Amino acid sequence: MCASALTLETERLILRRPAPRDKDSIVAFYMSERSQYTGGNQPLFGAWKMAAMMYGQWEINGFGLWAVTMKGDDSILGLVGPFYPDGWPETEFGWLMFDGSEGKGIAFEAAQAALKDARERLGWREIVHYINPENARSVALAERLGAVYDPEAPQPFEDRPALIYRQPKSEVAA
Amino acid sequence: MKTVIPTIETKRLILRGPEAEDYPDFKATFSSYRSRFMGGPLNTYEAWMLYAAEMGHWQIRGFGMWMIHDKVTDETYGMAGGWKPAGWPEREIAWIIWPDKAGKGYALEATSAARRYFYETLGWDGAVSYIDPKNLDSIRLAERLGAKKDNEAATIDGSDAVYRHPSPEALKGSQLAHGIEMEISHYADPLFKPKGWAID
Repeated sequence: MCASALTLETERLILRRPAPRDKDSIVAFYMSERSQYTGGNQPLFGAWKMAAMMYGQWEINGFGLWAVTMKGDDSILGLVGPFYPDGWPETEFGWLMFDGSEGKGIAFEAAQAALKDARERLGWREIVHYINPENARSVALAERLGAVYDPEAPQPFEDRPALIYRQPKSEVAA
Repeated sequence: MKTVIPTIETKRLILRGPEAEDYPDFKATFSSYRSRFMGGPLNTYEAWMLYAAEMGHWQIRGFGMWMIHDKVTDETYGMAGGWKPAGWPEREIAWIIWPDKAGKGYALEATSAARRYFYETLGWDGAVSYIDPKNLDSIRLAERLGAKKDNEAATIDGSDAVYRHPSPEALKGSQLAHGIEMEISHYADPLFKPKGWAID
């Protein structure tokens, strides 16, 4: 598998596989309150494990969240893309934008490209977004991406219900 | 650059980096009581995230935990290698053997090969093992590997004991190293008779 060479390009962005050089930015994010809705706001050990996991998920699944970078600057601004750990009821698509990267349409631009890739290259038909009920900004992004609230969708964690938004079923890809 | 995970062969075993197809074996042990001294038992999501982190550890640190396979059947027996996530005071040598594969000397054989690789190829000047004081099986193994309890060393969170491995110089050509080789040979061939005896 040569997933490491794979990149997606948008007007302003390059999406690439997470790399060891992204570790410090990912750790900082998971140790900050910004990550409180996405399994973060953790002590150092937990945040480090999340950074290692961001790399390793690609090894297990062959896909995962993409590191989002601006064209001409390789530093990571956030992570956007497909997420499908063991035990997940459905194929999820998520986003994590780091401090300073919000409010510029970066997540939206990256998500559009990565959603298209998930549909066309990975062949995903059903795509959901699991969102913490407090996370209004992510709800807004899910809606902007065309997803609709689905109260019937199975929960990843029964004891901590998420708001689940569902993308319209994609047309059959080529 | 991506770290290419080296492969190590021993008498009975082959150590390879963790691969996607080995995940069910990892999950079985880490969702069981067996993993109680390794942060478990974990739920499905946690087990998967930890396995992905095991893979990422290799890329971030350039070393990590190998999957222990039978050289002939390729069956997995557990994991052994190096571990140093954030918050670990020193580089650790760690191991876990699947519960139904214990008692055959696999941990000793794999861990001593991993330690040799870290010392001789990566140039480590030492290592420790962080062990729950109630984990008597692992304490016995640490002692067979020549590690000694270090009450002065920093622990991870105050609930673990630190066992310090002999340095490369202390190990090289020592009676201890010879004894480990003999013990492994005896596991590999129960009829094994060493040529000569170590002199006390």
